[in-house]
Amino acid sequence: MRQSGSASQLPLTLGIVALTAAGAAFAWTVGGYFSFVAALVALTTVVGVGLNVLVGLTGQISLGHVGFYALGAYAVAILTLAGLDYWVAFVLAGLITGCVGGLLALPALRVSGPYLAMVTIAFGFIVEHGTIEARGLTGGQNGLMGFAGPHLGGADFDDRQIAIFAILLAGAALVLFQRLLYSGWGRAMLAVRDSETAARSTALSPILVKTSAFALSAALTGLAGAVFAPLMMFIAPSSFMFSQSILFLFAVMVGGVGWTLGPLAGAIVTVLLPELLADLAEYRLLFFSVTLILVLWLAPSGIVGALARVLRREARALPPVPAPAEAVAFIERARDGLSLVADRIGISFGGIRAADEVSFEAPPGRITSIIGPNGAGKTTVLNMIGAFYRPSQGSIRLGQDELAGRTPTDVSRAGIARTYQTTRLFETLSVLDNILIGLRRGRLGNPTARLGSAEEARLASALLHFVGYRGSVMALAGDLPHVDRRLVEIARALALRPRVLLLDEPAAGLAESEKKELAALVRIIADHGLAVVLVEHDMGMVMGISDHIVVLDAGRPIAAGTPDAVRTNPAVIEAYLGAGEMQARPRAGAWAASGEPVLEVADLAAGYSAAPVLKRIGLSVARGEMVGILGANGAGKSTTMRAIVGLLRPVEGRIALGGAEIQREAAHQIARRGVALVPEGRQVFPELTVLDNILIGACRRGAGDYSAEVARLLERFPRLKDRIGSRAGLLSGGEQQMLAVARGLMAKPEVLLLDEPSLGLAPAMIEELFAVLADLRDEGTTILIVDQMAKMTLGVADRAYVLEQGRVVRAGPAAELAEDASLEEAYLGGAAQDDGATPRAAAR
Amino acid sequence: MTRILTSLTRRSILAAGIAAGLAWLPGGGALAADPIRIGLVAALSGQSAKSGEAITRGLSIAIDEINAAGGVLGRPLELVSRDDESNPGKGLLAARELVQRQGVVALIGGLDTPVSLAIVPFANDAKVPFIGPWAAGTPITRNGAAENYIFRVSAVDAYVGEALVEYAVDEYGAKKPGMILINNPWGESNEDALHHALETRGMATAGVEKFETNDVDVVPQLTRLKEAGADTLFMVANVAPSSQVVKSLDRMGWDVPIVSHWGPAGGRFTELAGPSGSRVHFIQTFVFTEDMSGRSAELMAKLKAKYPEIKTIADVTPATGIANAYDAMHLLAVAIGNAGSTDGPAIRQALYGIEEHEGLIKTYRKPFSPENQDALGPEDYVFSHFVEGKILPLGK
Amino acid sequence: MLLTSALISGLGLGAMYGLIALGFHVTYSVSNTVNFAQGSAVMLGAVLGYTFMVTLGWPFWAAVPAALAGCALLGLVVERALVRPFVSRGSDSWLMATVAGGILLDNTVLFTFGKEPRSLPSPLASEPVSLFGAGVYPLQLVIPVVGIAIAVVLQLVFRRTRLGKVLLAVVQNRDAARLMGIDAKAVVATSFALAAVLAGIAGLLIAPLYSVHSEMGMLFGLKAFAVAILGGITSAPGVVIAGLLYGVIEALVTAYLGSTYTQIVVFSVIILALTLMPNGLLGRAAVNKV
Repeated sequence: MRQSGSASQLPLTLGIVALTAAGAAFAWTVGGYFSFVAALVALTTVVGVGLNVLVGLTGQISLGHVGFYALGAYAVAILTLAGLDYWVAFVLAGLITGCVGGLLALPALRVSGPYLAMVTIAFGFIVEHGTIEARGLTGGQNGLMGFAGPHLGGADFDDRQIAIFAILLAGAALVLFQRLLYSGWGRAMLAVRDSETAARSTALSPILVKTSAFALSAALTGLAGAVFAPLMMFIAPSSFMFSQSILFLFAVMVGGVGWTLGPLAGAIVTVLLPELLADLAEYRLLFFSVTLILVLWLAPSGIVGALARVLRREARALPPVPAPAEAVAFIERARDGLSLVADRIGISFGGIRAADEVSFEAPPGRITSIIGPNGAGKTTVLNMIGAFYRPSQGSIRLGQDELAGRTPTDVSRAGIARTYQTTRLFETLSVLDNILIGLRRGRLGNPTARLGSAEEARLASALLHFVGYRGSVMALAGDLPHVDRRLVEIARALALRPRVLLLDEPAAGLAESEKKELAALVRIIADHGLAVVLVEHDMGMVMGISDHIVVLDAGRPIAAGTPDAVRTNPAVIEAYLGAGEMQARPRAGAWAASGEPVLEVADLAAGYSAAPVLKRIGLSVARGEMVGILGANGAGKSTTMRAIVGLLRPVEGRIALGGAEIQREAAHQIARRGVALVPEGRQVFPELTVLDNILIGACRRGAGDYSAEVARLLERFPRLKDRIGSRAGLLSGGEQQMLAVARGLMAKPEVLLLDEPSLGLAPAMIEELFAVLADLRDEGTTILIVDQMAKMTLGVADRAYVLEQGRVVRAGPAAELAEDASLEEAYLGGAAQDDGATPRAAAR
Repeated sequence: MTRILTSLTRRSILAAGIAAGLAWLPGGGALAADPIRIGLVAALSGQSAKSGEAITRGLSIAIDEINAAGGVLGRPLELVSRDDESNPGKGLLAARELVQRQGVVALIGGLDTPVSLAIVPFANDAKVPFIGPWAAGTPITRNGAAENYIFRVSAVDAYVGEALVEYAVDEYGAKKPGMILINNPWGESNEDALHHALETRGMATAGVEKFETNDVDVVPQLTRLKEAGADTLFMVANVAPSSQVVKSLDRMGWDVPIVSHWGPAGGRFTELAGPSGSRVHFIQTFVFTEDMSGRSAELMAKLKAKYPEIKTIADVTPATGIANAYDAMHLLAVAIGNAGSTDGPAIRQALYGIEEHEGLIKTYRKPFSPENQDALGPEDYVFSHFVEGKILPLGK
Repeated sequence: MLLTSALISGLGLGAMYGLIALGFHVTYSVSNTVNFAQGSAVMLGAVLGYTFMVTLGWPFWAAVPAALAGCALLGLVVERALVRPFVSRGSDSWLMATVAGGILLDNTVLFTFGKEPRSLPSPLASEPVSLFGAGVYPLQLVIPVVGIAIAVVLQLVFRRTRLGKVLLAVVQNRDAARLMGIDAKAVVATSFALAAVLAGIAGLLIAPLYSVHSEMGMLFGLKAFAVAILGGITSAPGVVIAGLLYGVIEALVTAYLGSTYTQIVVFSVIILALTLMPNGLLGRAAVNKV
């Protein structure tokens, strides 16, 4: 499904022209049945291209395209019977179906997935029954004939000429798709498919983009129908049955969704296959369905997709020479620019005040931070500024411009750009295209012209360089490592040339060194005159770079002021910061190794698709021991966890639990053996109650009465006690993390694995969590932990491993590692260096 | 290892596919001089499969007989069948393939009127005789072509409408009949014909109700007709939907006379509709009877011999399809023989030239003329009904 | 009388649509996929029921479980062969594959069971009884009762039992469920089997009122999909309510507006309803947190 915007389009375009010429020559020379079949292949291709715009670019499935096909066919039949010239009718048929497509987009826009499929199915049936019932116009069930066909110089086309016409139309449709694919519109369609939310905050209008896709798709299908009618010389409702819609969609899927030549390949299969099987007479449909299944098995992502995988050449365009100055000139704003003002804004969800009376001013050149515990309403405030939520009270102004109540698209055009807690890049687009889309600020331009002029591309590269991205600009955004995703997202936001930049937890999941560089970057961005609004949990970063801090708790502002003022505010300490310097409690006495390993990993190699992430890792955890795994992002920590618990398969090497090899077992079998993973991101079951979540943890132990055990567990997690009956999805992030740990403990595991338990938690919460972990350790639970908070991890762990690029580079007692200066710099954040370390971006 | 194996298999399947594709392309397979090929285009799968099968059987028996007697022009006949899935587009494609690729000399088929209508312009254009043994849509044969290559050995909706109205009036003294019609081309074509027949008699209809093939309950439609004061019902639908109408009438307790097109004859009507099925009087061109003799008995014996699953006359449904196809094939063979050539226009002229042919349904006397391309007329219709699973003709 | 009979008939059919639609609900909830051959499972239930009861003369108590076992097997095969291979490779082609599977099954039955529609006799559908002036077969009254009862039992199993919790866990977070030792693949396979069994029950229930043939399920399957969507495919009660509504609307439109426009009206209502309620009657919006 992926297609990177790479290389020149010329060879493919020439290929399409050559194919079209060959098809036309074939139709001309053989004539008769074969040219008729060629015409049907061509028309199915045109419909397929239309569907490909919808399915391949916007990711919407239509099972009602036969409706448009019928509309096109009936339009020419009825119009030419009324005396209109065929060519006029042909154009009108395209326009009419395009308009109907645009209209159908309105209900279709509100729904997605199977709901959309149903809307389109219903549309197909309405058209079918409409043609049956409007007998005066359509001839009813027994159809229409005797209408005019295409002609040239006074002579009507014979069937060979109609076939050639159909083939030319198919060629034109394929070229159009190819050009659309790389145009601003095509990229915007993919962007909307990848993330509608991000598209809206990148000044794109999903409604416009999707409606256009629907209309174009319908118009192409209608034009194909307009050729189908004269080709058949007779049309009736039974020519346009639901099953035909399925075949059309099948053609696109079997050809390869999103590939330019996919519809052609699919059309060849769907039209020729039944002809090859014609001799089977009554058994044809039977064998056709079997063959369809076989083709799908052989090429689940489509024929062209499968071929492309074999033939793919890495087309790597060289990134243009970066010129940071250009980027700076681009984003630079005068310091007397406009301030963002939030004036007593508030909003409720289901009776709960998510934000109340929040006011602040974010002036240009300044960093305004919003902090507070999980669930305090920080992101809610950002969402109100970004217009994803409409505040029920208060006003949001950029200068004199009122933003409250406008659409995200509108607000992003007005100069507000943002990033997201979990990055929302357009994953199937290249890094470069992500930025180019931003640069367009919603103006998509000519749908047949390639997105991005040479200047735009240079500017995009400059922006990427400015934020510190050093990877390939042609890489797919979805393939980027975590830190690069953050950087590209910031670059995309800057490409909008905003006045205000909203950053939602940009440092989450970054290693200490990366956080530092990010902090410097944010400072520089502000220094160039942008108003930056930062939501962040990392207090080092917030306190280090903020000019002004607003503290929220339970939706209400409890304090505001300079970092120093906020840091010492007792209310803030109470609600958020906790007892001061975060510290983990080490084991009271030294850990006495018992020598009996519970979990052993040797020579473990694993990865996703082709790229190996783990390169022969070895580690072991003894009974009762607590072991930490440290490393930068992308070093393979979480991958190690996933491999151990069986979520990642296949793996090479050996994983043993209590001596038994488990590297070939599936996740649930390993879980039943007694390996419990508390996964990254908590992953509680949101619709189940807290109690049911805890009980599900005991799954591997079978049915039984666990009430006493649950009661003991709740003593350890008093926060959960009060919420025992509520749905887990309603819990705050910290509570969910506690629940996830509790759920893991219910398994009475041989070894408890924790993957990034502190991620996204407020400082006070992290302290509480690590206290619980220390308790568990002291009580003899065997624990393997991966956490970004390296200091905290080394504080509680007995031993630790350091991973670097999929290999274990250091291992030893935690206390020793904690004092190793060489590690400190790379992973531990080391001694405070608040001397404004030179950011990467400004270097050179 | 597994991966290599899979990819090998995949490649070989791909290669086989390409080979099959190449074999299909033109260039190979010149037309065989022997035998004479006759094309059949009909719905052989799906809901009409049973009727398609009946036509195939009628044609096969006829071809066996002809070939046993030395064939036509010294060459045996060969049937080439194609499934049109009741889709006009597929029907036209199949007709083109049969004529332009398989070189058939004549086409037989078209179960559904739209499929036949889709083939009509092509057959006239290609000058290939096309004989319909089933689809009864009036415009199929009356298509306005200057040189009409379309013939039919089946009922014609225009005549059927007339016959149904006449029967309802004569038999039941109908004054205000209602129509309960299947919502497909066949139903629509008969709606027109029935309206026309009623109009010529100055009669009004109590209403026209449509229902879908898959409707389980037809009570709402029937209740509307009842409340509109219908005294007789005209029914046009295949066997299963017809039985739904009868069952719905049973539930309503409405004992209204039903005069029907031939749909109920397409299967085990009384099994589906229950004993009340016998109150439906329907039109037939041909009926197998227990005490038949002569050609019918011979045909029945041959059917039993060729298709072992046929045990009683309840297993040969719809008899009309078999009989129409059987007679059509023989008429075609006679014409080819008389024409002395497999040339389309010659066969067409020879069809017009047939003076007398003793068929299964009747003895045809000048069955075709440029003015009337239909071999069967209203005089050939027999009203029948089901009694204990068997179709019995009703004395007229 | 028109109203009564329309209501009874609408409720009966609606309950049947609801049963079939529950199948869509079950598999969609667990795996975000559906078996578009669900209509063929309806047909298989009826065809196997006919074969066991009439052709082979088995007693009712043996034939019905055997027929439903056949449906369950179908569900397992569909999941294993037509859904899993595609889902595991991130392809949406299961949609096409299950459609093709339906065509394959329909045609296989056409050439084995026979091309003629047959009738499955039932003592509950031979003599109509009078109810508020309308004649109905007792079976028509049984269908909604059975349908709703099955829906309620399913709901209880989901909400109250450990098995149900396990299922819900898979629905909500597949990977997390696997980490709890739940065999998610088996749960998904079971959901497909259950969906096919529900369809098979619908097929057995409707057969005596209808006729048994290879294509009988197609339209039922399609309407049931419409029902599942209308109700909100993620909500079992929504699906059942939508089924009853759909059946009643269909019958009322036919009874009062005439049959000509039934399909157009019903499908327009669906588009309108989905425009106003993009997640169906009781469906939950996919959480789209910004």
